[in-house]
Amino acid sequence: MSDTTPAVEIRGLTKRFLGTLALDHIDLTIGRGEILALVGENGAGKSTLIKTLAGIHQPDEGEIRIDGVIVHPHAGNVPIAFVHQDLGLVNELSIGENVALVAGFPRIGGLISWSKVWSQAEAIYAGMGIAPPDPRAPVGSLSAASKAILGIARALSRQAKIVVLDEPTASLPGPDALHLFELLLRLRAGGASILYVSHRLNELFGLVDRVTVFRDGRHVRTSPIGSQTPETIVHDMLGRDLDIHHEPQAARSTAKPMLSIEGLCVGAQGPLSFSVGQGEVLGLVGLRGGGHEVIGRTIFGAQAQDAGAIRLAGEIIPPDLPIAGRIAKGIALLAGDRLVESAFPGMSLRENLFPNKTNLGGGLFTPISRSREHGQVRDLLERFDVRPRDAHALIDWLSGGNQQKVFVGRWLASDSRLFIMEEPTAGVDIGAKEIIHAILRDIAAAGAAVLIVSSDFEEVAVLCDRALVIGRGVVTAELAGGALNLENLLTRSSGGSGQTVQAH
Amino acid sequence: MSHPITERAGTTPSRSRAGGQFLSNLVAVYGLLFVFLLIMLLFGLLRPSSFFSTTNINAILVGQSVTAILALAEMIPLATKQFDLSIGYHLGMAQVLVVGLQVQHGLGWPESCVLILIGSLVAGFVNGLLVTRFGIDSFIATMGTGTLYYGVTNWYSNGEQIGGMDLPASFTNLSQIVHGVPLPAIYVGAIAVVLWVVTERLPVGRNLYVIGANVRAAELTGIDIRRHVTGAFVVSGLLSGFAGIVLGSVLQTGTPSVGPEYLLPAFAATLLGATSIKPGRVNVIGTLLSVLVLAFSFSGVQQLGAPFYLQYFFNGGILIVAVGLSVYATQRRRRAAAKPRTN
Repeated sequence: MSDTTPAVEIRGLTKRFLGTLALDHIDLTIGRGEILALVGENGAGKSTLIKTLAGIHQPDEGEIRIDGVIVHPHAGNVPIAFVHQDLGLVNELSIGENVALVAGFPRIGGLISWSKVWSQAEAIYAGMGIAPPDPRAPVGSLSAASKAILGIARALSRQAKIVVLDEPTASLPGPDALHLFELLLRLRAGGASILYVSHRLNELFGLVDRVTVFRDGRHVRTSPIGSQTPETIVHDMLGRDLDIHHEPQAARSTAKPMLSIEGLCVGAQGPLSFSVGQGEVLGLVGLRGGGHEVIGRTIFGAQAQDAGAIRLAGEIIPPDLPIAGRIAKGIALLAGDRLVESAFPGMSLRENLFPNKTNLGGGLFTPISRSREHGQVRDLLERFDVRPRDAHALIDWLSGGNQQKVFVGRWLASDSRLFIMEEPTAGVDIGAKEIIHAILRDIAAAGAAVLIVSSDFEEVAVLCDRALVIGRGVVTAELAGGALNLENLLTRSSGGSGQTVQAH
Repeated sequence: MSHPITERAGTTPSRSRAGGQFLSNLVAVYGLLFVFLLIMLLFGLLRPSSFFSTTNINAILVGQSVTAILALAEMIPLATKQFDLSIGYHLGMAQVLVVGLQVQHGLGWPESCVLILIGSLVAGFVNGLLVTRFGIDSFIATMGTGTLYYGVTNWYSNGEQIGGMDLPASFTNLSQIVHGVPLPAIYVGAIAVVLWVVTERLPVGRNLYVIGANVRAAELTGIDIRRHVTGAFVVSGLLSGFAGIVLGSVLQTGTPSVGPEYLLPAFAATLLGATSIKPGRVNVIGTLLSVLVLAFSFSGVQQLGAPFYLQYFFNGGILIVAVGLSVYATQRRRRAAAKPRTN
C-alpha cells in the first residue's frame, strides 16, 4: 500500500433486487484526504451502495478494496464509519454513554468504569480538534448540529479513516450545518476519506472535491466540483430533457382566495405568507427539514402556531381552535405517514373510511344508519377502484396504494373546502397514483382549494397549478405556468438560486 | 352479526379458497358459541341431573352476573386500549358501602345506591383525569386508585364484616328470582343491550375502537381523545359501582375482603371475548359468552369433584390462554388475505 493507492476502490459493483438492477457495475474511488459527494434522485442507487458498503446487502458482482485490499463488508467489519440521517442517538442517555454504545464501555475488573466512559468521550472529541461538551450531559440537551457532530464523533471512535455520511444536514438549520462542514474539512485535512451523500446541491460547493452522479443504478459521471454548476448536476441526475406535458390552470391569482396565510411562524421557522385560490392546486415543496412539512399540520391544528394568521375564505381561524373545529370549518388533512397517522389496523374499510362520523354532521349519539353508510362506502370504493371492493375487508389486507385510496376517500364524504394532502401518492403504484391525481383535480374543479405537500417533485410538476418552494420556513421561489417543471423544482429547492425568484 | 365474506368480489378468490375462508371465518366468529354448546353438552351428559338443574343454572347466573357487569365495565376502557385495574377494588368498596350506609347510617337503599353511583362516577372521572390530563399510564393510575379504594373499604369497615341482618327486604329483593329468572341476569341483559347499541351502532362507540386502533390517527380525524377516554373510565366506574350494589344485595353483608378476586375473571372474560363475534376487538356479546363459558365449565369441573383451589388455576390459566388466543386471532385475521390479494 502506498499513498497513491486510493482509500476506497469499488470495481464493477452490481446488486440486483428481484431482477431489477439497483447497482449496475459501479466503479468508484475515494482518495486519501478527499471528500466525494454522491448525488442522485430517489431510487438512483445511493442507499443501495451505502448499504452494500455497510454489509447490509451482499453484492452480486464486483469487488470493494480498502487500501488496496479486497474486503467483504457482509462477512465482517470494515474500517468505515457510517453516519446515517437518523443518527441513532439515545436522547435519554448521556453523551459519554452514547459514545460508549459504539466504542464500547471501558471496564475495570468486568465492571463499567464511569470515569473512563467520560474521559473516552472527551478524548474522541479532542482527537477531532473540537472542545468536548460535558460528557455527562444528556444528548437530548444538545442542538441539532451538536448531535450531528456527536454522531460523527461516535462513528469515528473506531479509528476509521473512511467516513460515509448519509444526508447529515437534512434536518440541520443553515448556520448549524456550517459547524458540521468545518468538522468535515478538518477531518479531510487529517487525511480522512469522506463519502458525502446529500440532496442539497448548493452546500457541495466549497465543501467537496469531486461529485459523483448516480442515475437508475448507474454511475453517470464523476467530475471535479469546480467544473460543475447546480444546473449541470441536475441535468446529469435527470439525464433527459424533460417532456412532462402539463397544462396548469389559467392564472388563479384573480380567484377568490380560499386560504390565506399571513406571517405564519412555527418554532424558529417563518414568517410565511401565501394564499391558495378556490379551484387551485398549490404545491408546497422543500427539502426535508425545510419547514414545508409543518405548514399543513399547523393549518389543520395538529401543530401549534407561534405567530401569524390563517384565514379560510376570509374568516380567521383562531390559533387555539382544536382539530375537530377546523374539520367542521372545512379543512381536511391527509397525513404523510400512512401507517402511523392514517391507518386503523384491524378495522374494516368501512370504519377506516368513516372513523369519526361526527365529521359528516350529527352527534356522538346519533345512530349510524347501516344502509346509508353502506351505500357511501360502496360508492367510494367504486370511485377509487379500491381492491378488494369489500366494506368488511380489514385495512391490513390492502396494498399500500389501495390503503392510500381509502385514506384520501375518508375526506371526500365530508364537505371540506380546503384539502391538505401530504405525500398523497407516496409508495403508491402508478395506477392508483393516476386515480388519486384525477380525484384531487376534480375536487379543485368543484371549487375547493387543494394544498399538496410533497417531496415528489414530478408529482408536483404534473398535478399542481402553482408551486412554492419553502426553505427555512419562508417562500424561496414561486413556480407557475411553464416554469413549473421538474428541473426548476429540483434546482430551486436544492438552493441553486439562493434569492427569491418569481418565475412565470 | 354475520359477515358476508365478499359482497362484491374485487378480486375473485378461487372457489375452494373462498370455501376454506368461509369456514375459518365461521370458526373465528362463532368459536366461543361452539365452545359454549360443547361444554353444555359435555357436562350435561356427564352430570345430567345436577348440571341442568334450575338451582345450578340460577346459582351460576346470579353468581356470574357480578362478574359479567364487571367484565362489561372493563370492556369500555379496553376498547381504547386502556386498562382499568381498579374495578375489583371499586366493586368491593361499593359492596361494603351499600350495606354500611343502610345498616350503620340508617339511609334508605335508594339513597345509598344514588350516593354510591355518584361516588363511582367521580372515581371513574378521576381515573380518566389521571390518564388523560396527567399522562399517567392507565395500568399504574388504576392500580393506584384501586388500592386507595381498598383503603377506603377497610377504613370504613375497620376491616370487619358489616352484618346485614337489618337490611330491608326491598334491598335484598334486588337480587331475587322473579318468575324463574334471577333479577341480576336481567340487569346484565339491560346493560349489555345498551352497551351493544353504543359500541356497534353509535359514533361514540366506533370512536372508542378507533382510538384503540391508533390514537394518533384518531386525533387527526378530529376525535377528542381525552373526552372519550375519560368517558370510558366514567362508564367503567359507574358499572363497577353498580356491580358492587348487586353484590351487596346478593351477599347481604358488607365484607371488606371481597372484590379484588373479581378482577381477574372479569379481565379474562373480556379478553377471551375478543377472540369471537368481532375477532380482534373486545365486544359485548363475546364478553357475555366468555363469562358463560368460564362459569359453566368451572361449575361442571366442580361437580366432577374438583377441589376448591382449582379455581385459581382455572382463572389464571384462562387469562393466559385468552390473551394468547386473542393475539393469535388478531394476527391471523390481519394477515388473512394479505398474501394472495395484491394489485
